[in-house]
Amino acid sequence: MAHHHVTSSDIAINGDHLDPSSVSKVKTIAGIIALVGTIVSVLIFTGVFGPWIRGTYAYSWEFAFYIFLTIPIGATFWVLLHNVSNASWGVSVRRTFENIGSVFPWLFLFSLPLLLPQIQHYLYEWMNIHRAATGDVKEHLHHADHLLYNKYWFMNLPFWYGRVAFYFIAFSAVIIGHRRLSVAQDTDPNPGTWRLLKARYHSNYPLIIFALTITFTGFDFAMGLDYKWFSTMWGVYLFAGAALNSMAVGVIVCTWLKSKGHLKHVVGPEHFHIMGKLMFAFTTFWAYVTFSQFFLIWYANITEETSYFLIRNTGNWNLGMIALVFGHFVIPFVVLLQAWLKKNPKLLSIVAVYTLCMHVLDHYLITIPERGISLGNIDPKTFGEIQVSIPGAFWGDILAFVTIGAAFVFFLIRALGQHSLYPNRDPRILESANVSN
Amino acid sequence: MSTTRKRVYGYLAEFKSASALYKGAEKIRDAGFKKWDCYSPYPIHGLDGAMGMKRSILPWFVFFGGMTGTATAFALAYTTQVVIYPTVVQSKPTNVFTVPAFFPIMFELTILFSGFTVLFGLLALMQLPRFNHPLFASRQFHRATDDGFFIAIEARDPKFSADGTRDLLASIGGANIELVEEEDA
Repeated sequence: MAHHHVTSSDIAINGDHLDPSSVSKVKTIAGIIALVGTIVSVLIFTGVFGPWIRGTYAYSWEFAFYIFLTIPIGATFWVLLHNVSNASWGVSVRRTFENIGSVFPWLFLFSLPLLLPQIQHYLYEWMNIHRAATGDVKEHLHHADHLLYNKYWFMNLPFWYGRVAFYFIAFSAVIIGHRRLSVAQDTDPNPGTWRLLKARYHSNYPLIIFALTITFTGFDFAMGLDYKWFSTMWGVYLFAGAALNSMAVGVIVCTWLKSKGHLKHVVGPEHFHIMGKLMFAFTTFWAYVTFSQFFLIWYANITEETSYFLIRNTGNWNLGMIALVFGHFVIPFVVLLQAWLKKNPKLLSIVAVYTLCMHVLDHYLITIPERGISLGNIDPKTFGEIQVSIPGAFWGDILAFVTIGAAFVFFLIRALGQHSLYPNRDPRILESANVSN
Repeated sequence: MSTTRKRVYGYLAEFKSASALYKGAEKIRDAGFKKWDCYSPYPIHGLDGAMGMKRSILPWFVFFGGMTGTATAFALAYTTQVVIYPTVVQSKPTNVFTVPAFFPIMFELTILFSGFTVLFGLLALMQLPRFNHPLFASRQFHRATDDGFFIAIEARDPKFSADGTRDLLASIGGANIELVEEEDA
């Protein structure tokens, strides 16, 4: 109990608002980068620079889009978990996670290229086979590709589009609803506890929506790149990465806000200690699940499954996979064992940035190795024969990542500036501010 | 023999509440005592900080215990599966590259050895199990498991003095101060 005991006199009565002038520079720069990148991307997707860059850039876009999709989904998971478990420690950081989660509806804009048949032509081969069908699709598949015939109940175009609509409508409704409920409390003269109970009630079934979203976005956007391949651990694997890295983003945002003088009395070393512990737990969980996936596939030795790791253990991809073992698990595991480090916001933020870099590598290895193979299959004249990686396509990856990343930062700062940075009239804010573990 | 000199264990003082115990512990810590302890019916949050206790060395034991477990498991699996009796299963390699198959047992033994290290390391650091404790000679001390909050300062402490320590305990709110002597050996 070395720190000052927080009383209600320390809580800002009208909330702790972000000063717009102090962040306008970052916000403007991020907005301009996102806008320029989007314009260039639109030109690429409309085919101005030719089919080669259009095809390779489709994969870059898929990679960047999916990695930034996982972070708001994970942040929403933390909000839901916080409500449903009736936790009090996280009241002061809950708003931060709501703000990160609120980026999710905006990401629909960036999913639009992936919904266009001209772009899907390069990404999802099963759609090409479906679209090439004449007459009854199912009957056609019966003769063309029996695997797709058997998977038709799940892999068919109307259902695919319906699922994408479900993610963006249902899950956006979850996060927007929770944020609205939470924000309305800041100005209510008689906050009471009814919002708490309502938030708890409306957090149980959304956890199912969350599970469906993280699993099936993974199926539809990432696993669908190779329709023959499947993994039974895929959803859990993506969930582990999403939960870990949304927590990392939360740590970074809290540290950044504290460095600007916000969250002064309500977020302290103890909160960072808890968030660091959760990061540590999910680092371990990620390793556990990722190895489980590898192990199941390695042991079973089924052709359809092993292709994933065969591709990623060919050539220099193998270096990336080995780097993932040590960089995503061993190093953060040993570093995050330190309790004093988890109580230091700046050091924990460095670890969080490092974790995010590893998350990028992780998702790069999920998406990009498929590129040389698929494009070589679809159009060897333009992209060359099937190869390990397409030379020169790397610049597109950077462009797509910077574009969507800048947009993510822009929408996040915009969300942070809209309302108080912590729920200042939550009945449990003092309990949260004085937490010690 | 009835005239044997009894060894003095130290002073025992009762405090009326958990917060009184907490504040008393802070004062004894600031007075520079090292060999003393608090006794309460339930854990008191932050008391370790109030007593000025350093972090335990146990995590280090556990870390290296766990590493020992990993190494043991790897050595066991590697020796049996690669060195002594290599078995080809599904054309998997019979060299160090078959290590994924060893991971489950490496994981399990890491946890087993860590668990054992926690248990036995904790017992060793607490000097448990023991048959008796000098404080059991005190008649009031059994209330430490019911509703009593006690602080005992040992005579082994270099700062201990027969009068000064008693006065210190009295000044910080200790009641029922008694000099606990060890029972006949």
